[in-house]
Amino acid sequence: MRERVTQALPSVLSVLLALAVCWALIALTMDAGTASDAYLQMLWGGIGNWPSYLEGAAATVLTRPLGEAGMKAALLTLTGLSVAIAFKVGLFNIGAQGQMLLGALAAAVVGAQVSLPGVLHVPAALLAAALAGAAWAGIAALLKLYRGVHEVISTIMLNWVAVSLVDAWLVVGPLRGVAEGGQSITGTAEIQPTAALPRLLGDLSRLNLGFLLALLLAVAVWAWLERTRSGFETRAVGLGAEAARAAGVPVARRIGVAMALAGAMAGLAGAVLVLGTEGRYPGTLGAPYGFDGIAIALIGNNHPLGATVAALFFGILRAGGTRMQLLGVHKSFPELIQGLALLFVAGRMVWLAVLRRRQSSTEAPRA
Amino acid sequence: MLEILHALLFSTLDAAPALVFAALGAVLSERAGVVAVGVEGMMRVGAFCAAVAALAMPTALAVCVGMLAGAALAAVHGFLTIRWRSDQVVSGIALNLVALAGGTFLLESLYGPNGTPPITQLSRWELPGLSSVPVLGALSGHSAPTYLALLLPFVFQALLARTPLGLRLRAVGDKPQAVATLGLSVAGLRWGAVLGGGLLAGLGGAVLSTAVLDRFEQHTPAGLGFMALAAMVFGRWTPVGAFLAAAFFAFGNALRIGLVSSAPGLLELVPQGMLLALPYMLTLALLTLQGQRSNAPAALGAPYEQESR
Repeated sequence: MRERVTQALPSVLSVLLALAVCWALIALTMDAGTASDAYLQMLWGGIGNWPSYLEGAAATVLTRPLGEAGMKAALLTLTGLSVAIAFKVGLFNIGAQGQMLLGALAAAVVGAQVSLPGVLHVPAALLAAALAGAAWAGIAALLKLYRGVHEVISTIMLNWVAVSLVDAWLVVGPLRGVAEGGQSITGTAEIQPTAALPRLLGDLSRLNLGFLLALLLAVAVWAWLERTRSGFETRAVGLGAEAARAAGVPVARRIGVAMALAGAMAGLAGAVLVLGTEGRYPGTLGAPYGFDGIAIALIGNNHPLGATVAALFFGILRAGGTRMQLLGVHKSFPELIQGLALLFVAGRMVWLAVLRRRQSSTEAPRA
Repeated sequence: MLEILHALLFSTLDAAPALVFAALGAVLSERAGVVAVGVEGMMRVGAFCAAVAALAMPTALAVCVGMLAGAALAAVHGFLTIRWRSDQVVSGIALNLVALAGGTFLLESLYGPNGTPPITQLSRWELPGLSSVPVLGALSGHSAPTYLALLLPFVFQALLARTPLGLRLRAVGDKPQAVATLGLSVAGLRWGAVLGGGLLAGLGGAVLSTAVLDRFEQHTPAGLGFMALAAMVFGRWTPVGAFLAAAFFAFGNALRIGLVSSAPGLLELVPQGMLLALPYMLTLALLTLQGQRSNAPAALGAPYEQESR
């Protein structure tokens, strides 16, 4: 337990420091009062406006913000898992964005073009998205295994290919939706009602089944990595491919499976976005949740549950961040906090050194 | 026909320098063994600071400010990875995220969403006697960075291949232990390469906002830093190779824009998205063919630890 705390401490401190730095930045560009107000707005916008609820406002002042936060947290959890799984096998998946795009497109197509009874339609669309994401990530895995192409470069390239092909061609071309009046709209056709992810709180918020799905998958991934033989082998490959090979681990297969799973997670993030919130593949899938996944995974120490906690926290900040705009603070602020937190996490060695120094100065030196 | 070639060459020469400088910066850093994923962020910071500085001072001086800004971000990378042996890819990605979100935040707080106010572009040089020559005339009428970008890769190539300093830089990326055995400072050499890489990436960004455009925009450099990484890998970590790859990418882009504007009918046959995806797919294909024979520095990404610690 003690070890767990020491492991998580740099991440927690990093996030706190990022919050402090950003507060100072608003205070400098505006003033200290506005900075504090903005943080308060962000908090109420993320976890619900408790003060006004206690003063008798309707329950929606709680459910709306919490629902938005949960929605964003679901997407961040899934892309964070994607990056974390790849990390466990020793690969850096920069391509979650492209995998998510492909997943979103697959979900939108199955959701709109295929007719299935309600119980089957959602699973079918989710499965299609997972497969599309897995296939896209699989290209990088194959290039790595058979041609030695570094996955950082190949996934960066695959991101650009995905954006170009999907956003600049398929969605505005062959797959472009047609509205009721006959004129074409931006993005693909609306998904059928049977393919929509059910909302958890009815009309009270946009929170949908995707949130539970993300949490379940996080636990499943954790259980797979920590409690199964193939998960153990996957981690062994990540710690040292040569040693794992010598111990009889099928290294290539572990890499292939882990990368496909990573792609599936990112693909599912796309599906949750399309089936849960957007209702179709919109003109551009601008939201860079795939890139956010890198930060989430690393802040969460590449641990499935750590990534989930990071995703929940940043989901709250993201949902609340839109509220800050009321005070004139730009909406990219939560992203800045996220980026700075990652930067400070990258400096975890500095943290650990500082902590160790404090520890050794408080403990009596051993002879 | 000659006119089309002239126009293509001209726009390539205008657009390529940003990519060339960033790719050279990446080569410099990675040859010394430090991963350069943060090039995109360094370009963005360089572009932003150069544009802001150009509002207050001569543009040529502002370009230097942009270079220093790139180097400042590189210094953070150096501090985390050389001094503290942090993961180089993580640090680079973090810098990219900070530059992206921070740049957007500062831009909007200071100037609003449409970018900085317009600035005076870098002046263009007319080469006397050359402007009237067909095709070759395209060499005339560019700003100073273009000519520097044509020269610098070869200087770097010679520097890396033929000087003691170049040998040491390459050695520190391949076998830092050997360099340390000779009593040379691994950290010192790496710091030099990382800061130099930052200056170059900053220059690449500054070129974007002061020569290609006349302001800093929300999306600058829009992934060009990652293209620079691809050019570096594609050029097998050599300055001239990276230069040729970057020039090839820039030419491909000019060709795409040129084709679409001169023959709109083409878009009926080949969708725009496919044309956009083409350079990336080509890069992937070439990397696939090139395979494992790529000569990445042996100690790339590995933090150096002295045995005696």
